[in-house]
Amino acid sequence: MSGTSENIPEELHVLAGEYVLGALEASEMRAVRRQAIIDPTLAAAIANWERRLAPLAATVPPLPPPDALWSRIEATIGPVADESAPAPAAAALPVRRFPAILPDEAPPARPPRQAWLPEAMPPPPPRRVWPWQAATVLSLALAAGVAALVLVPGLAFRANLPGLAERFAPQVAALMPADTPTPGFLAEARPDGTVLLTALAPVAVPAGKDLELWILPPGGTAPRSLGLLPARGRQVTLQAMPAAGTALMVSLEPPGGSPTGAPTGPVVYAGKLGQMRL
Amino acid sequence: MGEAVAGEDLADLIPRIAAGDRAAFRRVYDRHAPRLYAVAIRITRQASLASDAVHDAFLQLWRNAGRFDLERGNPEAWLISLVRYRALDIARRRTREVSDEDLPEPIDEDPDPLQRLAASRDAAALHACLGALEAERRKLLALAFIDGLSHSEVAERLKLPLGTVKSWIRRSLQSLRLCLEGAA
Repeated sequence: MSGTSENIPEELHVLAGEYVLGALEASEMRAVRRQAIIDPTLAAAIANWERRLAPLAATVPPLPPPDALWSRIEATIGPVADESAPAPAAAALPVRRFPAILPDEAPPARPPRQAWLPEAMPPPPPRRVWPWQAATVLSLALAAGVAALVLVPGLAFRANLPGLAERFAPQVAALMPADTPTPGFLAEARPDGTVLLTALAPVAVPAGKDLELWILPPGGTAPRSLGLLPARGRQVTLQAMPAAGTALMVSLEPPGGSPTGAPTGPVVYAGKLGQMRL
Repeated sequence: MGEAVAGEDLADLIPRIAAGDRAAFRRVYDRHAPRLYAVAIRITRQASLASDAVHDAFLQLWRNAGRFDLERGNPEAWLISLVRYRALDIARRRTREVSDEDLPEPIDEDPDPLQRLAASRDAAALHACLGALEAERRKLLALAFIDGLSHSEVAERLKLPLGTVKSWIRRSLQSLRLCLEGAA
């Protein structure tokens, strides 16, 4: 007896089955996916159906994909990763519309080299607007039809008992728009390294674009991709809970994500993790 | 999905991909892309959209391989799911009016996959349990899973009332689950 399903209500089994089958309409699919992010029982029911039904996919006779597909995938994942290597020649890169991402500390006299910044980019201005070049972000985002969000900094409260604080208190960041008090996503980082991003309001993604999630540790200069971010949010598992002050940001990218491993589109949501204030 | 070769099945390749091993990534592509592409074509009904779905799924595989839990998850099911959800999202996003125009070749429209279920143990259980359903109900499940049709699209295709389709799918899922769990 498998036992995996015993505690799952029948309703949830059916809903998960309909979801995995592909029988749900688009809005229902989105709702289930959003719910599964915060509901482990539903997520388990979905995983069960994925496993049960997978052999059905093997009944479809294989079809050779177009020859160009592999090259396209290879181009998207970018050159062999070597973080210490200099950035590839700018000529090989698409035009960057992405405003520089900077840590929110006082700009050092000589800014650290940003590995992901192409060399042809004009040198950064000596004094930058914290934390992102808000006006640029806003205009790009408005052009793209997406509400620009800038960070509401949480207080980086690290108590004298950091172990205790981390064990019991999740860190949260609300990724807020500049013009209204409605947050786009709530990010919650838990002590086990789980980061849960939940869309708090419907997020409109322009057609032909994907949202990509990035993480930038305090003091870091190059954001690291955490993969695509569905409009309703998703769960990410990191090796450990990110430190307070870690920035999370969301950029608009071509379908499938940034082809370069660094943000190429405007940052449309951003926030910084800080201790939840109760 | 494929036949396992020692050291070459997904469970072995995924940790290597997580470590950035491009040869392992390529191996998974070579072995699985034709099946995944076929699955995506059935759902998106358009070669370019199927390519997009497979592209995005492999990108997710490359980026998220380290997050896949081999202890708990089934890697074949995971890979298929990556492609299917992408394909379903793409298919749901556009109108189906334009479908069927640019299919690369005629596809097998046989909606009863029963005789095609391979001989693996999982497939055998699914085969047996699907076989216990009426052929008509089995067809509903196949139209949804393989062709990616939603409740309303299934109803339209089979000229059945939407409520009937919903309740048949619902009951089929319930029977299928009980049967599969009994077999486990």
